[in-house]
Amino acid sequence: MPSETRLAGPRQWLAFAARGCAILALGALAACSTANAPAGDAAANDPIEPFNRYIFEVNRFGDEFVGKPLATIYRQTVPDPARNSVANAVSNLRLPWTAVNDVLQGQFGRAGDAIARFGLNSTFGVLGLFDMAKDNGYPHHDEDFGQTLATWGFGGDPYLMLPIFGPSSPRDTVGLVADRFLDPVTIVALDGDITSRGNAFTWTRTGVAFVSGRERTLEGIAELERGQDYYAAVRSAYRQRRASDIRNEDSDATIGPRFRFGVDTD
Amino acid sequence: MKTVLSRRAGASLALATLLATALPRAGGASARNATDAGSFVTTLAQDAIDQLAAPNLSEGERDTRFRKLFLDGFDVPLIARFVLGRYWRQATEAERAEYLRLFDELVVQTYARRFNEFNTARLRVLSVSRPNEDNDVIVAVEGSVASKPPVRLDVRVRRGSSAYKVIDVSIEGVSMAVTQRDEFSSVIQRGGGKVEALLASLRGKVGAR
Repeated sequence: MPSETRLAGPRQWLAFAARGCAILALGALAACSTANAPAGDAAANDPIEPFNRYIFEVNRFGDEFVGKPLATIYRQTVPDPARNSVANAVSNLRLPWTAVNDVLQGQFGRAGDAIARFGLNSTFGVLGLFDMAKDNGYPHHDEDFGQTLATWGFGGDPYLMLPIFGPSSPRDTVGLVADRFLDPVTIVALDGDITSRGNAFTWTRTGVAFVSGRERTLEGIAELERGQDYYAAVRSAYRQRRASDIRNEDSDATIGPRFRFGVDTD
Repeated sequence: MKTVLSRRAGASLALATLLATALPRAGGASARNATDAGSFVTTLAQDAIDQLAAPNLSEGERDTRFRKLFLDGFDVPLIARFVLGRYWRQATEAERAEYLRLFDELVVQTYARRFNEFNTARLRVLSVSRPNEDNDVIVAVEGSVASKPPVRLDVRVRRGSSAYKVIDVSIEGVSMAVTQRDEFSSVIQRGGGKVEALLASLRGKVGAR
């Protein structure tokens, strides 16, 4: 596994984990209480694997009866270019929060890119339906608060399977909460009342983002599902993907996979 | 869930994309005299197009051609060993032999399936670099299908005694070999640390064709 840079010492991590426990629900509590237990497999860093697997199966059931059917109907009824525009609009709405996270990560150039993208695509791109910015030197990138925490030194262990939200970690769970409450678009949409249960706009946005995202991953997830151990494949892919996002591989084609492809000698 | 899922979106364009892509012609270079890893990759992809995109190809013939291209262009035995990780050393000679045979069958099936889904993709080489402290060359390419968003692929290429071979492909940061290694390792651990547990699982998959 490409080792994600872990700058956090154990003490920092524990301090962070304690905070996470205070904020989060059942899953995170379970993770915290077992974080110091001897792990069955150090590489997997999944101390509550049986519990995670259980949540995973529940999620899988939900996906089978809700996620996958919705995504399939969406694909069959909405033509390609329209779906692409929907995905663009969803991604466009994330840009203000991406820019905030860029700043928090000290990436001011990328923050500028995100703001320029948001401006161009929201206006000339008709509310984000068309990605004009990409062809004008502002390629897409996406940041979330979990990535920001990672650049501040918080590691991505242990593994945590959240109900509904899927693969995560204590760090990324805190990130999800921040993503929900601190996203400027959400704050504006809710007129500053971020503790409200949301309104038609925020719920529509969430629903559309979910269906659009699931449609785009139909084949990829089916491929993981077809393997020998679906749970382990998702865990591995999630971690690698997070590590890649944290390294900002999107911005520089020369930042490639960071691991040695070595085999044991006989 | 949205972010998690879209992060894995890349997985939807498996390795086959690479083979399936219509590339700008690289001056008619052939695999035999490809002099660098970048042109090796583009040539491999172009060969796949030329040989597999013919409309009146029978399914059997297509499978045969795919298998040959794949086994020529990829170092499958090396990939197989990497994927088995530390359990390679533990495996008996008989287990290794069976594993290599099953793995070979598994990857060909997997990649052939992906190829058929994405035979209209286009590839663009973004960079050729050596980011790790070894001689492996990473060819970063952008693959795009119709009106879908482009997907970043990192093709890891190693020069063997005679020619370049692909040893791994990362799709949006997710290495196929690492994912499979973690998966196999989990199967073995859950099977009481025995390689036989993996072989049993693979027999079921490959046999169920």
